[in-house]
Amino acid sequence: MGRTWESMDAFEAFLDDGGIVEVDDDMPDAYRRAVFAFIEMHANSELMGGLTERDWIPRTPGLRHKMAVLAKTQDEIGHGHLLYMVAADMGCKTRREMIEDLFAGKSKFHNVFHYRAKTWGDQVAISFLVDAAALASQQAVFKNCSYGPYRRILKRIISEEGFHMRMGEERMMLIAEGTDLQRTMFQQSLDDWWWPALQLFGPDSKPDDVLLRWHIKSERNEVLRARWVQKFAPLLISYGFTIPDPDLVHDPGADTWTAGPIDWEPLKRTLAMDGPDSTRRIADAAANWADTRWVREAMDTAPERTAGAIA
Amino acid sequence: MNVDLLGDGSGHAHTLHDRTLGDRIRAAMATVDDPEYPGISIVDLGLLESIDVRPDGDVAIGLVPTFSGCPALTMIADDVRAAVAAVDGVAGSRVDVRWLTGPAWTVERLTAEARRTMATEFTVAVRIGHGPVPCPRCGGDTVEESMFGPSRCRAVHVCRSCTEVVEVMRA
Repeated sequence: MGRTWESMDAFEAFLDDGGIVEVDDDMPDAYRRAVFAFIEMHANSELMGGLTERDWIPRTPGLRHKMAVLAKTQDEIGHGHLLYMVAADMGCKTRREMIEDLFAGKSKFHNVFHYRAKTWGDQVAISFLVDAAALASQQAVFKNCSYGPYRRILKRIISEEGFHMRMGEERMMLIAEGTDLQRTMFQQSLDDWWWPALQLFGPDSKPDDVLLRWHIKSERNEVLRARWVQKFAPLLISYGFTIPDPDLVHDPGADTWTAGPIDWEPLKRTLAMDGPDSTRRIADAAANWADTRWVREAMDTAPERTAGAIA
Repeated sequence: MNVDLLGDGSGHAHTLHDRTLGDRIRAAMATVDDPEYPGISIVDLGLLESIDVRPDGDVAIGLVPTFSGCPALTMIADDVRAAVAAVDGVAGSRVDVRWLTGPAWTVERLTAEARRTMATEFTVAVRIGHGPVPCPRCGGDTVEESMFGPSRCRAVHVCRSCTEVVEVMRA
């Protein structure tokens, strides 16, 4: 058995000192539940994102990008797998319970996966803008995360997401330097995905946010969001695209870019499983789970393999 | 002139007219990190197979992939080309970077340094031979959970002692 703390104050002092909590520690229940819910949502998002990515394998233009989408699908599903294992180890829900709750619409996943990717331009916007937003929030967690098993998995996930970002950047530049038709398609995608990507960071962090107090997150939502706008608004404008925010302000003196007011209603709808594509997405994921049941059964009933026999 | 340029004692022959230039090229390549493992160079990963500097000054680099469907091949080749082109004495010459179809990459090509960084920085173990794979965190035995993880070159294991979720690189 791991360490115990006499009180919440003692536990918080341990966290403030940079202490790292391990799975066998006797952590306070509230902390356990908060960390678990956070990892469960991350795992769900990797799974839902991986399934979206999978839909694009046959439709991706060119062999090289098709290979990349294939590998990215495996990456996302693999990340989901690792995260579900880490979450299950916390003892709040089993992996089966997490999957069942996801398909029953009882647990959350990222807002961006409640929308439908209709064109290749949408996929480019996702791999360039949305992945960058997701990566920025993961980095902010990783930097100072007090839960050891999650922190160590995040290090690997972030390295791989960084690679996806480079692929996304390459795709965006290809389309930006492409034909008028391609540029028009990407502008439409930018109009559709700019706000969901911004909303992914969530509303301004509350002063009493336990995720910040317990060193699960290390940066406030609004800080991450502002940094993302600061990076992507001028970049997209330099490529000749229009940011779909009439109130976007550029201060030439300080060279800062500030987004206009954000409508949080679309985010709230996705959290209530009422986004534009929520129902179809969840049904699709559940159907995929049912279709692959025979694989899991075969794995469960197969005689135990000798280590290394299939290496 | 043939020299053991890789410094790996493998006996691979490398045609070279300028030993120092070859050294500088190799040093430049050692600064190129794997896109999915920041901090681990492609030389330590064992991807570098050959460096040839031809009499006309053109440079040919031979690399081997960890697996042929790896999506990072173009990116790695671009990074290598950029690093080599910047080497003193290469400027203006053609740099040809090629992915070879043989020899096959194996985990034995990883340097001790790469294995150490994988274990300490990424909690990734390397399967050598057929015995149990030790946990990079506590040294305990791990058990295979899935043949494949986020990449085709890695399996997913769980440590029997500390329950750590471990990725295992294998050929």
